[in-house]
Amino acid sequence: MLGVSNLGKRYGSRWLFRNLGFRLGSGDCLVVLGENGSGKSTLLKTLVGLLTPTEGKVEAKAKVGYSALDLAVYPALSAREHLELSGELRGIPNDADRLLDYVGLSRAADQLAQEFSTGMRARLKMAIALQAAPQVLVLDEPGAGLDEVGRNLISRVVEDQLKMGVVVLATNDPQERRFASFELEIKS
Amino acid sequence: MKAGWIAILRKEIKSELRQKSGLVTTLLFGIFAVITISFATFDLAISPQLAAGLLGVAMLFSAIVGLPRVILVEEEQGTGDLLRLLAQPEDVFWGKAIYNLLFMVATTIAISVLFFGFTHMGLRNLPLLLLCLSGACMAYAGTVTLCGALVAHASNRTALAGVLAVPLLLPLSFMAVSGLRVALDVNEAFNLTRGFISGIGLVLYGAATLSVGSYLFAAVWKR
Repeated sequence: MLGVSNLGKRYGSRWLFRNLGFRLGSGDCLVVLGENGSGKSTLLKTLVGLLTPTEGKVEAKAKVGYSALDLAVYPALSAREHLELSGELRGIPNDADRLLDYVGLSRAADQLAQEFSTGMRARLKMAIALQAAPQVLVLDEPGAGLDEVGRNLISRVVEDQLKMGVVVLATNDPQERRFASFELEIKS
Repeated sequence: MKAGWIAILRKEIKSELRQKSGLVTTLLFGIFAVITISFATFDLAISPQLAAGLLGVAMLFSAIVGLPRVILVEEEQGTGDLLRLLAQPEDVFWGKAIYNLLFMVATTIAISVLFFGFTHMGLRNLPLLLLCLSGACMAYAGTVTLCGALVAHASNRTALAGVLAVPLLLPLSFMAVSGLRVALDVNEAFNLTRGFISGIGLVLYGAATLSVGSYLFAAVWKR
């Protein structure tokens, strides 16, 4: 479902990672580890196509969903409006109610995102990532800023995703490492 | 082109109606510019050349103040990546360019009504005035949207957008002033045909920047 060959990303003269290669199939969970600033987020952004690799290539023969700590949402739109917008742009039917219920945001569906806590924003981003029913789910620090209920949601999402697809997870949280089929550590 | 641009346009209008940051700033700038001009020329008879220049300057600066924001705000508030994940570049460009066009039309109507109300300028040819104003709106919307997109990833993007816009906006300003001075020329000293040529030039300039912009935008939008 997701393959990477000879992948490298360089900023200036510094290589964040180089000669990276792996192939993931259904049920695989790759956990990416590394210190802050080591290049975990850059690798994940390269996997989802937000950044162009300096060398090598990413092959994703599946729909990809992405949620990250540094991904922002529109402050003046409600949670429901975010899902309506993303549904329209992706050309898929509106299923905002089901997704908001799944991530536990039903009661805040019509609240503007500027009034959301960090955890509520993370849930909304998760709902947007899951909307296209991706076979490859890429999550960057998904548990950051979440309470116990939020962490349980992440666990449920990852477990559900692994039944039908692939998860790539960047984290420093020991609890989230338990999902790993493979671990990849990036050293700066 | 799919209907994704309509979703982007709707998002921009909703965000603006709730936050009112861009429209209020631009309208206030335009209103103050016209009121200041009226105050300065209170007891003077303004020539069509001067009036065209003043109206052109008010429109130009309103466009520069308000229009690049629609692209730059995506990077400033960190939503650029979300949009890159969800939308096709051409949908983003057209949604934002058409929003900028509507924004520019609203601003131009407000500025023009105030300008004619305060300065009591005469009018020689209404169709030419409308042609010049609508052509200028198209050209400003296309040019400034494109400039915003070109500098979106730069660190000092707001300043850079203004600098980049200067060479693109100069010929446009010349054409706008050239057409407007004929439209306002009640003494009929200027050739009407030349005025219409300037007006048509503005429309073509706008059409060119909008159509070229959608191709250039696809190249610069992705990182």
